Order: sequence, then structure tokens, then C-alpha cells
Amino acid sequence: MADTLVIKGSNTVLPIAQRWVEAFKKYYPDLAVTLEGAGSSTGIKALFNGTADLANSSRFLKSSEVEKMHAEGKYFTPIVIAYDGIAVIVNKSLPINDISRETLKKIYTGKITTWNQIDPSLPKKRITIYSRNTASGTFETWENKVLDKERMAPWVQMLESTQAEVEAIKRNPYAIGYVGYGYVTEDVKVLKVEGVAPSMKTILSGEYSISRPLFVFVDLSRFGNTWPETNVVAKFIKFIVSPEGQKLVEDAGYVPAYPTTSSE
Amino acid sequence: MVVLVSICVIAALIGIFAMLIHESLPALKKIGWEFIASGAWYPTYEDAEFGMLYMILDSLILVGLTSVVVFPMGLGIALYTTEYANRREREIVRSVTELISGIPSVVVGLIGVLLIGPLMLKIGAWTPFNLLNAVVSLTVLTLPYAISLIIESLQSVSRDLREAALALGSSKIRASAMAIRGAKHEMLYALVLIVNRVLGETMVVLMVAGGAVMLPRSLFDPIRPLTAAIASEVGEVELGSLHYSALFLAGAVLLVISAVITVTAETFIRRGKRWLTG
Repeated sequence: MADTLVIKGSNTVLPIAQRWVEAFKKYYPDLAVTLEGAGSSTGIKALFNGTADLANSSRFLKSSEVEKMHAEGKYFTPIVIAYDGIAVIVNKSLPINDISRETLKKIYTGKITTWNQIDPSLPKKRITIYSRNTASGTFETWENKVLDKERMAPWVQMLESTQAEVEAIKRNPYAIGYVGYGYVTEDVKVLKVEGVAPSMKTILSGEYSISRPLFVFVDLSRFGNTWPETNVVAKFIKFIVSPEGQKLVEDAGYVPAYPTTSSE
Repeated sequence: MVVLVSICVIAALIGIFAMLIHESLPALKKIGWEFIASGAWYPTYEDAEFGMLYMILDSLILVGLTSVVVFPMGLGIALYTTEYANRREREIVRSVTELISGIPSVVVGLIGVLLIGPLMLKIGAWTPFNLLNAVVSLTVLTLPYAISLIIESLQSVSRDLREAALALGSSKIRASAMAIRGAKHEMLYALVLIVNRVLGETMVVLMVAGGAVMLPRSLFDPIRPLTAAIASEVGEVELGSLHYSALFLAGAVLLVISAVITVTAETFIRRGKRWLTG
């Protein structure tokens, strides 16, 4: 019987995971891999009910999940696999390049509704505010790092995927949104936050403030609470933190957590 | 055989009802009537709120507007097809409606995102995904359905009635009016089916309605019907949590709205028939 590997979770980690799976399959052609991006919470849920071997997550476990993990005698091990900045994006035609966190918070909580309230030279148009839906880890990071847990205004529009957000902002000259740094395309403009543009360097150094580590979780209680040396899960993890795997992180547009070149 | 199948269907229906009620009870107990009194829907925040009022109203507004657009349009096309069109035209209407009704709702949603959305911005909307976009997309989705339902109800009127009217020297328009009057109960049924179809539609509204839990003040404001909220959130919700139960409650609310509409229409029809037959 061929080995199987089921990976579920964060949409943010998905472009990295796709590259990993593709490359990993070259070493193990018989391996059947299922990869699904449906949000970090969904991945962790799948780890709980045993429908996934690995959970990709753009956030750490919530305290409720840690409690549940203890209660069920499970042992989820986090592996930091990359760093991600959340980029603030607007339409290319909008004459704005820099935004403060304070302003972002005001926009998302509804205290600012038109662009000219930020700067009189900007158009007197209502801001279309996009957000990811509540299943996404990006939403949670945004909630913690920008909103300080304050509530979003009711007119913030929830979109079902990051691609949909980029597409919507590309087509709407007065829209604003936030996406994982790896999802930024040529079609939209990335704003500097507090004067710092998101880049490999600024995200890793922490200069760019809206950033976060990305995780892969594995449930070691399935392996008798030890590290499975020979299991395919362990092989996959070894691969993703290897220089080759980390190079793929870089290819996907994220900041690698480990060296991308071997030291030999 | 028929009895067996009927029993299965009824059992399944009761099962769905029972499950919905069972799963939504915890939310109903904890949230109380707040769920229908408040519009604040913040299910994932620390002090979560589960007010569904705005989403319920969003659903109703969307259903109302779409029906107001779809029904007269469907009636017009159906009347033309049954009363005026020659065989070739009838064929064209039939094949076009069949073709359109075969389009999956996710494709209609894509049309709404890629075609209607940018158009919305051109006509001055502040967001491409809004109430109007949802109405237009749902019209595309349900119009063929409406046309064939109304054609069917018009055809249920006996030809004699129409021909007798014509023989007595009434105009073609008069005869059509007779046909409409003769088919009004069937048409009310058709309307109920259309309303329920729009009320339950999920994919299109998820994609084009805007996803903002607010009361629209204009056609250009985004909305979030109950179905969209369920579809968007049920994927990540923790099993057995209050949020999970609240989503089932939202489903139960949809079922109740649909039942109320259907039962009201049926009472109406029954009364009407009694009045007609004396």
C-alpha cells in the first residue's frame, strides 16, 4: 500500500505547500498527497479529528485549542517554517503610498469612511474596505496587530479568498485590503506602513510591524509522543526545513526561516 | 413503491427539521431573543455577539427585490411565448431558457464578479459587490426557471376558455388576461417556488452580495444574506461551539421564513378557490 499524506490549513501557507508537495513527490513518486487550503482553524480542527497529518497555520494555537489539546491528550508540535508580512494593498491608480497603523485601524473600525479624510488631496470617495472572512489566519493577525481586538465596522466586506481580494482591489480604484505578502501581484499597489515597505529584509528584522511567523503543526501523540524518525511525516518535515524546501519558501514570496543554501 | 418512497422523503424531511432544531437549541438558550432583536454579528470576537436581524432583513430585501424583477419579466416572456409567438419563436425561447437554466450558480456568480461588478463601479457604486449586483445575478439565475414555471401554469388553463373568449369577440389581450386570471393559483405557486429558490441561493450571494452585515440604504450598499454567512463561516467553526449552534439557528430561521411564505400562499389559494367555487 502506498503511503498517504494529508495536509490541510492556511491559505497563506498554501502557495508554499504546493511547491513543497510538487518537489517532495519527485523523491517519493508513490506517495499520495492531499493538499487543501481552507483556513488555519480548519487545519487545526482537522488535526484534532485526525483527518489531516499536518496542519498549516498562519497563527499559533489559540488558548482554547491548547486546553482542548491537553484535555484530549494530544501533542501538537509547532514548526516555524517561514515569516510573512501582511501587505496593505490599494488600487494602483490611488495616489497614496504610505499609511499609519492608526489610520488603518480607523478605516477598519469605521471612524474614517472616505479617502479625503486621510489626506485632502485624495479623492472624496467612499473607501471600499475588504477583509478576509473570519476563518482565515490573516484575519486573526489583522485583528490582533492592527485592530487591537476592536470590532470591524459593519460595512467591511468579507471575501472568501485572498485571490478574490487582490482581484477585487485591482478592479476597484477606491478599495483597500490586506493580504499575505506572498500574494501581492503587479496588479495592485503595496502601501508602506509607518514608512516601512514590506520586504524580505524588513519582515525578518521586524522593522515591518504587521508580520508573523507561519507554522506547520504535527500531532506527535499519534507517534507515541516521540519524534517519528522513519515516518513519511518526519521525512516531509525534514524536507521543508532543508535548504531546498526553504528555497521554495522564498520562491513563493515569503521569508525563509532557515538558510536556503547548504553550508558545504 | 410510491408509499415507500414517500415515507423515506417525509422521514428525511423530519430528520432535517429535527437536526436543525436540536443543533440550534443551545444557541437559542444562550443568546435568547437577542438573535432576532440585534443586528450585531461578531461571532469570533472575545465577547461574541450573534445578532441576525440585519442578515435576516438582507435576505428578505434581496428576495423581495429579485421577485419584483423576476416575476413580471417572467410573466411577460411567458405570455408572449404562449399567446403570441409562432412555433419558431417558441422554440427559441425554450432552448434559450433551457440553456441558461443549465448554468451552474457558481458560473453565474463569476459573471457577477467579472462582468457585473466592474459595471457597478462605472455606474457610480462605491463597491462592485452589492445589493444590485446580487439582484441582477439572481435574476439571471432564476429568470429561466420563472419563465418555464409560468408557461406551465398558463398552459394549465383550458384552451376552451381562451377560444370561447376569442369567439365572443374579445381581443387577444383580453383573452390573455383571461388566461392569467385562470392560472392565478398556479402562478402563485410558481411565485412561491421562485421566492424559495432565491431565499436559499447561496453561491451567488456569497460571491457578489458584498459580505457586509449591514442594512442597505441604497441599491449600491453591500449586504450579507443568512445563506452567505452560513456558507462562509461553517467551514472554520469549532464543532459544538456557540458559533456552530448559531449557524444552525440561522438555518432554522431560513426554514421558518420559507415555511411561512409557503403556508401563507397555500391558505390564500385555498380561500380563493372556496370563493370561486362558492
